[in-house]
Amino acid sequence: MPNPSPVLEVSHLRKRFGNHEVLSDITFTVGEGDVTCIIGASGSGKSTLLRCINFLEEPTDGAILFHGRDAEREWNRAQYHAKVGMVFQSFNLFNNMTALENCNSGQMRVLRRDRKTATERSLLYLNKVGMGPYRNARPAQLSGGQKQRVAIARALAMDPEVLLFDEPTSALDPEMVGEVLEVMRSLAQGGLTMLIVTHEMSFARDVCHRVIFMDQGLIAEDGVPEEIFTSPRQARTREFLSRVLQR
Amino acid sequence: MQLPTEFFGWVVFILQKYGSLFLQGTGMTLLISLTGTVIGFLIGLLVAILRTVPTTRRTPLAARGLKQALNVLLSVYIEVFRGTPMIVQAMVIYYGAMMAKLIDRHTPIPVVAIFIVSINTGAYMAEIIRGGIISVDKGQKEAAHAIGMTHWQSMINVVLPQAVRNIMPSIGNEFVVNIKDSSVLNVIAVSELFFMSKSAAGTYARYFEAFAITAVIYLILTFTVTRILRLIERKMDGSKSYTILGSQTDSQSAITIPADSKEEG
Ligand SMILES: Nc1ncnc2c1ncn2[C@@H]1O[C@H](COP(=O)(O)OP(=O)(O)O)[C@@H](O)[C@H]1O
Ligand SMILES: [Mg+2]
Repeated sequence: MPNPSPVLEVSHLRKRFGNHEVLSDITFTVGEGDVTCIIGASGSGKSTLLRCINFLEEPTDGAILFHGRDAEREWNRAQYHAKVGMVFQSFNLFNNMTALENCNSGQMRVLRRDRKTATERSLLYLNKVGMGPYRNARPAQLSGGQKQRVAIARALAMDPEVLLFDEPTSALDPEMVGEVLEVMRSLAQGGLTMLIVTHEMSFARDVCHRVIFMDQGLIAEDGVPEEIFTSPRQARTREFLSRVLQR
Repeated sequence: MQLPTEFFGWVVFILQKYGSLFLQGTGMTLLISLTGTVIGFLIGLLVAILRTVPTTRRTPLAARGLKQALNVLLSVYIEVFRGTPMIVQAMVIYYGAMMAKLIDRHTPIPVVAIFIVSINTGAYMAEIIRGGIISVDKGQKEAAHAIGMTHWQSMINVVLPQAVRNIMPSIGNEFVVNIKDSSVLNVIAVSELFFMSKSAAGTYARYFEAFAITAVIYLILTFTVTRILRLIERKMDGSKSYTILGSQTDSQSAITIPADSKEEG
């Protein structure tokens, strides 16, 4: 695989909550167009890692570089957030807005687009995720899968360079998992840079270019899917995989 | 002139003679309580936003110090105004401002009255709004930050609209309390309903009849306001139905989904 210049670099990242070290010395880079999946047991620090990259948690130590510049110091925070989007396990659609308003809000407040331009972009992406017809529905009126697709459209409408996904299908009823994964698969094919925490092993194997296995706040193994899934080097990777693939 | 001899006679007599006093008093009470509640609400919003400004390790020390000082100041404000009766606040503020020559005999007294009610209400509202903010799922704020909104933007566009909806009953309650409690302002001669009632009662010393009228007026005010606020609440919840616009095959189609039916994808 070619190694394009890194878009995102996580460098010696540490995160402590009080005395509890959740991330210890995490270092990796993400190239343009890379689709990277992060797997690992619950509590291994996957969410915390994404939240640190997005500054929803403040890193205790280390740095996040975006296009080679320190995201915390050298990037305008709003600009950085516009370029590095996030999709949450619990969707977090704005409950006081319709689907369309959800997609418009960031464009209008953060990117200062006028309503007309914003609406055009929003509808483009709402249609792309198959939610165009529901533009006037409120989150309470949508199913989980529909909410998550709107949330993805909201993130895409900001024209991000990187999208972070934190277990985007874990809160969904099984019959809705497919529709969301389908959208993500097409984004991956479209060349979007994605960092995906997931328990969907077949998705990780088929769609991701690279799989990172996290264990107890460390990157235990990092490689292409075939490697990780067929011949993992570490005993703890093997143990984790046999546990999740059994189900 | 023949004076009435029983209760209803007196009521009619007082209304005929002093009806305009009651009307003026009612108007003043409404003005003070409505304006005071609205300004108090805005003060509460501001305090709530200021108290929730986040700081990080990148925040300069001076800014962090300033925020701490501000937090202490705001806490003192809330404690003092919630911890003392408004009747005492009215006396202290009015005579204090007189002594400090901030106001004089010519200052319109309604302005002073509105100031007192606003600042008193602000202290209660700050706590009510804080509760409202806590009631909003913190994922809402995180999502707002994740698309680049600042603290102010996320509060104003996402968190506060939901928080305010959740605390509408408490906000309405503050308004009702203000309609009633603005009566204490009679101690600084504000011509609100209680003060005017005293005038109406005074000449013939018919306190029972006059204040019976006053009680009925207060009751009508609070009852009406409560109903109107209910209506506003229902309006805020928005339409329970929505329309699905266009489909994959027919872009002109529109299906309206009525209340209480949830489309499963
Ligand atoms: N805000 C927090 N305060 C304290 N501990 C936390 C906080 N968030 C996460 N943790 C702890 O960090 C560890 C990793 O959590 P998380 O990143 O959510 O793991 P994962 O997403 O891999 O399941 C857990 O032990 C969790 O209890
Ligand atoms: Mg997690």
